[in-house]
Amino acid sequence: MATAISIQGLSKKYIDVWQKQEVVAVNNLTLDVQEGEIFGFLGRNGAGKTTTIKMLLGLIFPTAGDASILGRPMGDNTVKSQLAYLPEETYFYDSMTGWDLLDFYARLFRIREPERGRRIQTCLEKVRLQPEAWRRSVRGYSKGMRQRIGIAQALINDPKLLFLDEPTSGLDPIAHAELRDIVASLKDEGKTVFLSSHQLADVELICSRVAIIHKGKLLKTGMIKELVHGESTEIVVRGKELQNGMLDKLRSLAPILDQADRDEVAESDTVRLSSDSDEKISAIIDLVRGAHAQVVSVVPHRRTLEEVFVDTVRQEESGGI
Amino acid sequence: MFSVTFAIARQTVREALRRRVMWVFLIIGVFIISLGPVFGFLSPRDSQTVLRSLGLAAILLAGLFITIVTCIYLIPVEIERRTIYTVLSKPVQRFEFVLGKFLGGFVTVFINIFAMGVVFLAMLYFQEGHKIPGEMVQGVMLTFFQMMMLAALTIFFSTFATPVINFFLSFGIFLIGNLGSVTDTLTTSHNTVARGVGTALHYLLPNFGNFNIQNQLIHPSEDIINMSAYIRMNIIYALVYSAVLLALAIIIFDRREV
Repeated sequence: MATAISIQGLSKKYIDVWQKQEVVAVNNLTLDVQEGEIFGFLGRNGAGKTTTIKMLLGLIFPTAGDASILGRPMGDNTVKSQLAYLPEETYFYDSMTGWDLLDFYARLFRIREPERGRRIQTCLEKVRLQPEAWRRSVRGYSKGMRQRIGIAQALINDPKLLFLDEPTSGLDPIAHAELRDIVASLKDEGKTVFLSSHQLADVELICSRVAIIHKGKLLKTGMIKELVHGESTEIVVRGKELQNGMLDKLRSLAPILDQADRDEVAESDTVRLSSDSDEKISAIIDLVRGAHAQVVSVVPHRRTLEEVFVDTVRQEESGGI
Repeated sequence: MFSVTFAIARQTVREALRRRVMWVFLIIGVFIISLGPVFGFLSPRDSQTVLRSLGLAAILLAGLFITIVTCIYLIPVEIERRTIYTVLSKPVQRFEFVLGKFLGGFVTVFINIFAMGVVFLAMLYFQEGHKIPGEMVQGVMLTFFQMMMLAALTIFFSTFATPVINFFLSFGIFLIGNLGSVTDTLTTSHNTVARGVGTALHYLLPNFGNFNIQNQLIHPSEDIINMSAYIRMNIIYALVYSAVLLALAIIIFDRREV
């Protein structure tokens, strides 16, 4: 599979004139995105996601490093006919109607009539914008409609690579699900999507690989299924018998969750344990039943991308990585 | 190349014509022009001169404010509202963007000066025996080219200055550029510093004063020997000066982060 985006040591530093200090927005970022994948680009607010995208699109210039997009240097105008960008805040020319707005963007791609009209209609239908809104001023659009027209303008040139910055933020659940599905469908059309998002459940659902950045630094990158690997099982047991020295036996088999207050755990008649070993789970169940206590539940627990993200960022913040 | 520039220009005209402040200046301009016959009645012997002077002055003043308030916002607003992201992320060269913005501003100014010019010439037509005086058409035309140069200057400043700073810079240079005789006097000053500053101002800053030939047009006694050559040279000057300003604007904007 060919590389759609190749970033090598990309950095962006700003000088804060008033505080006389250097602000590192992106720090030596190295990353590859393969063609045909939906790549999740994750990070907290101010982590450097938008700055990276803006550098890749040639809107701002890197302090160091380089990147290529679809085999051409970043910012190269010749490759932009195959790119699309949906900014985080979708600001448009409010006085224009949805149709006129797409007509304007199509003209920037030098798409001629009647092809232009055909593409506008296809894009508006694809993003499921109600036809009665097509000839209405964008000023009167709801947030969901603006996001739809934003995605439509990103699709007007039938791009190979899309940069989507928070395409589903601030939407109602129905619009959210619909737009997420539209983004997911782009993969089936063979398009590459570079998706910056805080909606980690969405990212987990539609992306194949992700990168986590924090304060401009790449912390982790890889396949989602590898990052969230390590399924564990949570067992909840209950009984007065737990207080008769059995707690220590259980603790030797598996860590007790919610262990922050050990005295509270010791006094409680219910404990939660977690283990990723089938043998230990069986041993725990045998031990509890042998002591005539009760196994309340045995629930397999899969790590989520959100947990991976939170753990990774917290570790970095506490200096663990 | 030009299809993109025209698309941006078209969109720019559309946005610019929605600005209420521009319409306010246009209405004020047309209103002052239409007051010409009223002032003419107050001075019956000079009614023709009053109408001509007032008309050209109103077009110049309204044109000045329309040009500045239209052009100072063209690029900064795109950056502030982030609409520029969706434009420059497409296969649009930055020079196409700057040219499109200038062309849009230029057409907007043309529409306004044309509208005021039509009203002015129509008033003259009825006042001066159903004929349109050619020298007044020349006067309106020169004002238009003067405003074109001012539009280029304002677009140039807007590539690096905020609208407020741009307003004062453009307005200030327009005033200094209208004081050609003063800066010309400074070029022959005995004081070295004054001579240096005067020479720099006189030759570097756009000479807007050369376009103000109302006196010569209204009072043929103060004639310019070859008016058509004079107008032709001024138009060439405006075109060349505007082209240089736009080239500089493109160079600066090409290096600007948005």
